[in-house]
Parts: sequence; C-alpha cells; structure tokens
Amino acid sequence: MKTLVNINDRKKAKILKISGGHRIRQHLQCLGIHIGDIVTIKKSSFLGGPVLLEINGCDVALGKGIASKIEVEELE
Amino acid sequence: MKIAFLGQPNAGKSTIFNGLAGYKTITANFPGQTVNYTISKVRLGDEIFEIVDLPGIYSLTALDKAEIETRNFILSGRADVVINIIDASTLSRSLELTLQIAELQVPMVICLNMIDEAKRKGLDINSEKLSKIFGVPVIETIANKGIGLDKIFISAKEAYFNQLIPKIQSFHKDIENYISEIEKIIPGNFIPKVPRRYLAIKLLEGDRELFEEIKIYNDLQNKVHKIREEIKISHGSPADTVISSERHALTMNIFEEVTKIGEPTKTLREKIDDILTNKYLGYPFLIFILFMIFFMVFEIGKIIEEPIISIFDSFIQKLPQYLSPESFSFFIVKGLLEGFSGGLGVAIPYLIPFFIGLTILEDIGYLPRMAFLMDTIMHRIGLHGKSVLPFIVSYGCNVPGVMATRILESPRDRFITAALSVFVPCAARTTVIFGLVGAYIGGVATAALYFFNILIIMILGAIFTKFIPEITPGLIMEIPPLRIPTFKNMLMKTWLRLKDFMLVAWPLLVISSVILSCLEYLQLDIFLNKIFSPLVSWLLGLPEKSGITLIFGILRKELSMIMLFQAFDTTNLSTVMTKIQMIIFTIFIIFYIPCIGTIGALIKELGTKKTILIIIISIFIALILSSIARLILSLL
Repeated sequence: MKTLVNINDRKKAKILKISGGHRIRQHLQCLGIHIGDIVTIKKSSFLGGPVLLEINGCDVALGKGIASKIEVEELE
Repeated sequence: MKIAFLGQPNAGKSTIFNGLAGYKTITANFPGQTVNYTISKVRLGDEIFEIVDLPGIYSLTALDKAEIETRNFILSGRADVVINIIDASTLSRSLELTLQIAELQVPMVICLNMIDEAKRKGLDINSEKLSKIFGVPVIETIANKGIGLDKIFISAKEAYFNQLIPKIQSFHKDIENYISEIEKIIPGNFIPKVPRRYLAIKLLEGDRELFEEIKIYNDLQNKVHKIREEIKISHGSPADTVISSERHALTMNIFEEVTKIGEPTKTLREKIDDILTNKYLGYPFLIFILFMIFFMVFEIGKIIEEPIISIFDSFIQKLPQYLSPESFSFFIVKGLLEGFSGGLGVAIPYLIPFFIGLTILEDIGYLPRMAFLMDTIMHRIGLHGKSVLPFIVSYGCNVPGVMATRILESPRDRFITAALSVFVPCAARTTVIFGLVGAYIGGVATAALYFFNILIIMILGAIFTKFIPEITPGLIMEIPPLRIPTFKNMLMKTWLRLKDFMLVAWPLLVISSVILSCLEYLQLDIFLNKIFSPLVSWLLGLPEKSGITLIFGILRKELSMIMLFQAFDTTNLSTVMTKIQMIIFTIFIIFYIPCIGTIGALIKELGTKKTILIIIISIFIALILSSIARLILSLL
C-alpha cells in the first residue's frame, strides 16, 4: 500500500484512507485534507523530513509520521 | 453592538481589526498569531461598536487552546454579530468553518478578504451568489491595503438590525434524521443559549469537551454512542469522518456554484518560494537570513548605543559636582540615571532592529517555511518544526516566545518548547554576552557561546524527550503564500512591541536600579553578597561583589551586567574580572532563572507547578554548566 511518503515530487495522488487517531483525522480535515481529495506533492525535504502538499490551492506541510499514515493511489 | 471577528488562521482578522481599531494587535503571516482575544471600542458617528479579534480557528471543534478560547467566547452568546473573515484564495476550505458558524444562528456577515490573491490564483468569486446561498451580506476586502474596510460596519449593522441569520445547509437525509433524533433529547438546560442542532452535530462528531459535559445525562450519552455506532456500520467509516465528508461535499458544491476557476498567474513569488524551501538551497539561505538579521541588530545597535551611553556616563560623572556623594539623594539620582540609561542605551538600540527584522520575517511568511526546513532537526530533539517559531521569537524576548508555544497542539510539546525557550539568549542576555564577552574577549568567544547555548538546548531537548516520550503526531502546518510586508504595518508592529518593553520592563529596570542604589547607601549590598558568597565565590569562582548583580538579573537579565559596573564602581571591567570569570558569569546569566516577565508568562501558559519545575531545572543547569566551564577553562 502506498502512502504519501512513497509519492515522488510533482506527482498527483488521490487520498484513499487516513489512519491514525481521531485528533489527527480532525486536524487534517480542518486543513481541507479529506478522503477522495487529490493532492499534488510539491516537494519533500531530505533525511525523512516533511512533505509539502498542494491541496485545493493551499500549501500544507506534513511531517513524515503523518504523511506515512495517509494511504494514497498515485495518479498517472 | 458587539461584533466578533471569526475566521481561519491567517485569514487577516487582525489586519482588519487593526485597520478598524488603530493598531492594537500584532499581525503576522503565520497561522495562529493571535492567541488572546482583543476587544476594542470604535466610535463611528454617534455609535459605539465593540469589536473582538478572536484567535483563528480551523473549525468549531476544539483542538488547541486558541480554538477552545474562541469557541467559548462564541458559545457564551456575547456576540451580536459574527463577521466571518475568509481568505478568499482558500475559499473552498474556509467555507467549512462558515457552515459551522452558520449552525450557531447568530447574525453573520461573510467577508472575503485578500480578494486580490484569489484573483491571482485564478478564482473568480461571485459574492452575490454566495450571499443568496447563506442569506447574509457578503463583502470583499483587501485588508492590508485598506480596501473595503468601510463596508464592514455598514453590513454588520444591516445583519444585526435585520437579524440576518445564516441559512442552514442540509446534509444528506439519513444524517439529518440522526441529527434530529439527538436534537430532540438534548435537555433544554444544557448550554441553553446554543441551538440544539449545533450541539447534536458536535456530539455526532465526537467533540471531547461536549462529551465530558453530557456524562451526567445517561440517556443522551447512550443515544449518541448508539447512533455513532450505527453511522460507522452503515457508512463504513467513523462518524466524525462521515460528518466531515458531508460538510466537505457541501462546501465543494457551494464553492463550485459561486466560483469560476481560471488559470493561476505564475509569479516571481512562486519561484522565490521554490528556492526558499529547496531541499539543498533552503538551508544556506536560512543561515544567511538569520545571520543577516543578527548582524544588522548588532551593527545598528552599536551605532545607537555608544552616543547615548556616553551622554549618560558624562552626566553620572559630573553628578558629584551638584550633589554630595555621601547623601541619600545622590544615590537615588544615580540609580535613576543608571536605570534610564540601561533601558534607553542598552536595550532599546538592540530591540528596535531586532523587532524590525522579526516583523519582516513574519510578514513575508518566512517563519512557516523555516518550520518546514527545520522539522527534521527538531525531531532529533523530540519536537517538530513548529517549535522553531517560539525559539526564534525568544531571541528577541522570552515572554512572547513562551506565549508563542500556544501554536503547538499537545501539552507535552508546549511544556518542552517553553522550558527550552527560556534558555534562548534574549535581547537582554545578548547585551550581556556582547557587553562582557564580546567587548572584553572577542568575537570568536562570543560566537562560541551562542553555539554552546544551542548545543546545550539540543541536549536538554533530547533529555526531556527521554523522560516524556514523543507521542505527538508531528508537523501539520499550513504554509501561507509569501506576501510583501507593508511599511506601515512594520513600523506599527515594531512600535507595539517596543511599547510593551517600555511600559513593563523599563520601569522595572529603573526601580531595581534605584533599589540597588539604596542598598548600597545602606550598605546592605555587602551583607547580601556575604550570604551568596559560598555560591558565587566558592563554587563559581567569581568576585564576591558580583553576587548582588546576579540577584537583580532575575528582574531583567541585562541588569546583571549594568550593575556590575555599578557594583565595582568602574567603567572597565577587565580591571576587576579575569576573562575566565567573565565567561563563567555570562554562562550563569544565560541559563539561570528566567526573568520576572518570563516567569509571569510561564505561569500563565503552563501553571505554577510546571513553572517552578522549570525554575529549579534552570538553577541546576546554570550551576552545573558554569562549574564545568570553570573546571575546563582553568585547565587550559
């Protein structure tokens, strides 16, 4: 199963599942990240650092811990 | 009429508030800047409006401290009109909060701020359509340029006098049925002023605070649990996810109805942004930017400091011509002069350029990018990228630094970040480092001290993490677009921050200086020095006379150094202290007990117990580090 961590820069992905607790889910929802949304990976920093996503026109940085909890499907 | 500003973080609430009320709150281009709410009275003709700037929230489900504060304010029913401020460039996401505010059934105005940025992103928003959907006025503003602000009071009045309550947007039928089932059995005396529908939805979402409060109503509690289970089975995911997807679907529908999406204009900004957060180039830029700020602070500071200090010095030297050096009034005047010169000559010259630098970084929006870059490194000490912000602010002053820990979600992160922030050398301690080590030993030793300080903070972070393991989810942070700071905002913010210093810290500085002078007159200083001499002379190997300056450092850290001159009655400290003693003294000053102002901020943010713990830790660390430094330096 692919998570956000496995997607290369400048690729699009569709969110399939968000595992993790109630709080994390809620926090992500607040920032406009929902199941079924399509995100673009803008860049990932090195050494297991965070990833920078674009979602609905906003940029959001997610730490590696969280990014690895978001299961996605890579689009073309 | 009481008007509350409500919106997601970084939507520009404070900018609008400042535009209307004159400068009262500090704005910045990073999410979560407003942590306290500010109320201001504005007179317009014969009318008085009370406007409230609330901390930004992503939703009405309480997640962090700022959100709880905002929610409590709204739920208490104290607002006559709510102005929902929306960053128009993030309309689709922002509407989710709008839907929740609508549930509260308070007269509302929707304010589409930063409409220029939305256009740049290719969004063409039809405000009339949006106004029809919610049945409330919709206005467009560009707050940082002051465009459209005049419409706010007009539409607030319109919403209030015509009681323009937002229309409820319905979910799917089955969810609506569940909501009305719960609605029916919520007791009338349970949070009476709030619509039942709002409470029902929040209960379905599993809101923790509300869950605590319904514990006494058994029927309700059981029913909520039962329905949440039912939803989970029928929809295949937890009830909170289902509600949020419903809300998301609703907002997307509204968004598509009111917006035409065109091509975004690619700008220079994006190219700059790309370099600033680049995997490799980002770090040299980070170091360069921080270096430039500190360089600017000290170069400009020095230029201003020297003439001011020399004026005061010549005054003090001439003083015996006017007053007898033995008299009590001589000591009082001397104390006053020294206190004034300490604030005007030592602190302010460094604070002004620092505040300007910090403001520029904040308004451009560089700080969240720094958090992104630093996330990996911060994880090594058990924190995540967002903790960088309190640390950076702490280099100016620990008080706002400690307050900035509110942007962190977990209490554990808040505690560790606050505890580490107090070890960051603030502008006051920086004057000690530069005035003592910098002036008498040299630049290399000064740089080494800063490096040593960062190293110790990282080690302490690692130790804290051993005791309180990391359970936090890590970095979840919005990165706002880069913005060009306005000159006016920069000046006003610097002035606001400086005013804080002048009203709170400076008087304290003058008073303490006078007290010290009185102690000297009564010759009590010798007595106090004797009490502390085991610690000061035996353990740290410092001159006995420096004991009293360490006590006064608790009031303001730079007092310690200013008072060294006073205690030794000299303007050249190298005649009374060795270089090693200066280094030990400085290390002790950097790490021991945070100043009174910081202690106050710690108590407010963390409570008394944790504050005392931090104070005890700081004393131990200061003693251990300066003893070790003494040992090592004496071997060299």
